[in-house]
Amino acid sequence: MNELIPLMVIIPITAAIILNALGGKNSAVKTLSFVVAIVLPLIPIISNYGFHYFGGHSPLIDNGNLLSSLPSFISNGSLSTFHIGISYSFEGLQKILLFFLFIVGFLAIFTTINERKRISGQYMFLMFMGLGSVTAMLLSDDIFHMYIFFEIAIISQVGIILSSNDEQKYETAMKYMILGSIGGPILLTGIGFLLALVGSVNITDITYVIKNGIIDPYSPVFLFSFGLIFFGWIYSVGLPPFHTIKSAVYSKATPSGSALLQALSVVIFISFGLAILRIYSHLPFVHEVIIFFSLAGMILSITMALIETDLRRIIGFLAVGELGYIGLGFGIGTNLSITAALFQGLNELIITALLFIGFGVILQLTKTSDITKLGGLIEDNPKISIMVLLGGFAMAGVPPLNGFQSKLMLIQSALKANFPELAIIMILVSIVTFMTFIKIFHAAYLKPKPNNLTVEKSLVPRSTIFAVGVLLIICIVLGLIPDLVVKEFSVFVGGLI
Amino acid sequence: MIEYIVMLIGILGSILALAQRDLLKAAILTGISGGCIAILFQILLAPDVALTQAIVGAAILPVFLALAIYKTQRVDKDD
Amino acid sequence: MIDTQLAALLCSGSFILIGLYAAIFLDNIIKKIIGLSFIEEGANLFLITLAYKADGIVPIFLPGMSPDWFMANSAYPLPHALVLTSIVIGACTLAVTLAIAMVLYKKHGSLSASKILGDNHE
Repeated sequence: MNELIPLMVIIPITAAIILNALGGKNSAVKTLSFVVAIVLPLIPIISNYGFHYFGGHSPLIDNGNLLSSLPSFISNGSLSTFHIGISYSFEGLQKILLFFLFIVGFLAIFTTINERKRISGQYMFLMFMGLGSVTAMLLSDDIFHMYIFFEIAIISQVGIILSSNDEQKYETAMKYMILGSIGGPILLTGIGFLLALVGSVNITDITYVIKNGIIDPYSPVFLFSFGLIFFGWIYSVGLPPFHTIKSAVYSKATPSGSALLQALSVVIFISFGLAILRIYSHLPFVHEVIIFFSLAGMILSITMALIETDLRRIIGFLAVGELGYIGLGFGIGTNLSITAALFQGLNELIITALLFIGFGVILQLTKTSDITKLGGLIEDNPKISIMVLLGGFAMAGVPPLNGFQSKLMLIQSALKANFPELAIIMILVSIVTFMTFIKIFHAAYLKPKPNNLTVEKSLVPRSTIFAVGVLLIICIVLGLIPDLVVKEFSVFVGGLI
Repeated sequence: MIEYIVMLIGILGSILALAQRDLLKAAILTGISGGCIAILFQILLAPDVALTQAIVGAAILPVFLALAIYKTQRVDKDD
Repeated sequence: MIDTQLAALLCSGSFILIGLYAAIFLDNIIKKIIGLSFIEEGANLFLITLAYKADGIVPIFLPGMSPDWFMANSAYPLPHALVLTSIVIGACTLAVTLAIAMVLYKKHGSLSASKILGDNHE
């Protein structure tokens, strides 16, 4: 059923607009957002693989009647293979990634609905708008379409930050917005250069033109467009020098908000990264540049995480550092490494959502996130603490959880591609991640409780336990049976290169 | 000939806007450079875009800026 | 006399540079935001300039034109469609940024970026 493909974008955006109009009507907002959030993960499951051309504008070569009526320089030339309208492609990667994205989105929305007594339609608007926009980015085959939804995703991310009750949220939002307003037009200029060379913004067309030698891939204009688009990419995903602002963004939002923010970032990372790989992978230095920035991101973030004392900042830095692994996989550039990177991205989406929601309970109960003031919380909520511990193990790559499988694949691919030093760095960083995680776990849960720490006696909401539990089950299942997703990913990557 | 004059006015308007100490004047000058870009779009064979840009760049953005300045402070003290 | 397209390219480049200068080096937040709007407008102008064709016509197909002549003489309409979207997006981001700036002014009583954004631990 190919008609379902555009619905994955249309349903969240329509729901967002209706929710915004509903505004303060509490029960209506709750019901509608719950229903839409539970329907969303089903759509990628029942939809078939295939393409969707908006307005029926398929490439001319698929349309025999029209083609024969056109002049010969169109019907015989490469123009006949070009995509006229916006096209969405829905394959194995999109199916799996969107399913898990919508699951994380559902859990974030579900916990938000249950945590708050009054829920505003505007907040739900932002969450659904973010989900819809990154879905469009992942599905789209059109780099300008991706840019538009990237801007929308930035605005909804800023809105999600602003709806928390942190003191510094406006400052962080302002910085993120200023950087975003610089990064967005720069990305647009890069797309403009590509458009000037090729005459189309469709990624498939651009790769076709390059592969057939119609344009010179070493021309300065092409290299310049790479620079500009790459800048937009590192801004959007928080590789250095933007890792501090990105982790600040995570730490300012509410726990379920940050879980969603990180999920959005991972999907933006993967969709732009794949676009860059498809367009520019034949340039000699592209892989090295991606590897350099990813390595810098991993190492800088993990060092910052070691010296921070704020719980949410530490998790934010760990999350940004984990993004570096995906970048490394893209940078090595073999089939195996890209598959491993996609798997790592999927795992990260799930694990960081688990950690953000799980550690959010601490903030809720104690109203502080400074690890020097915390301690002994394992008596108060043992269930959550065990689940968070397992989530942290998954992030650091302890077998048999899913983080272990993807990191093992990444290390194997680095060794096979003759980059043993990268494999060593990956192992080292993952050891340091483990150490940092154990440090914060000890500080928050195990060490004796400080006398001046007041813990609210209210129960942890069942919805939070449910959310963390579901995410943990996904972690374990993916860790035990990685072939569920890896096969689809490797088929997708095989078609890509 | 007219396009070069329009470009010059647009660039000068943007530089002058940033050099103003009175922020309200800066907002109005932003409108001038936005309007110049709209005229340039017309010259560059894009009349439909020129209409949108004339409304957004020459009217809506300066009004937004002026509203924000009205709610905050008018003089750029710390320059 | 240089041709119109080159002059417009230079113009868009100078808009982007002026905007970047303002967004990075000026201290007042409102001026930073004005700079951001200049970057946005420069990028739009760049895209429109790509579509320009010297001595061409507006890309509207009127009855009586032959398709071959139209294809040889009209400007390229794709960037026009892209820029329309981009202008609206730019206005939206600007409005959100201005709204945040107003809240920050209420909180700090100043529009100076170094006072508002500088001294908190980033």
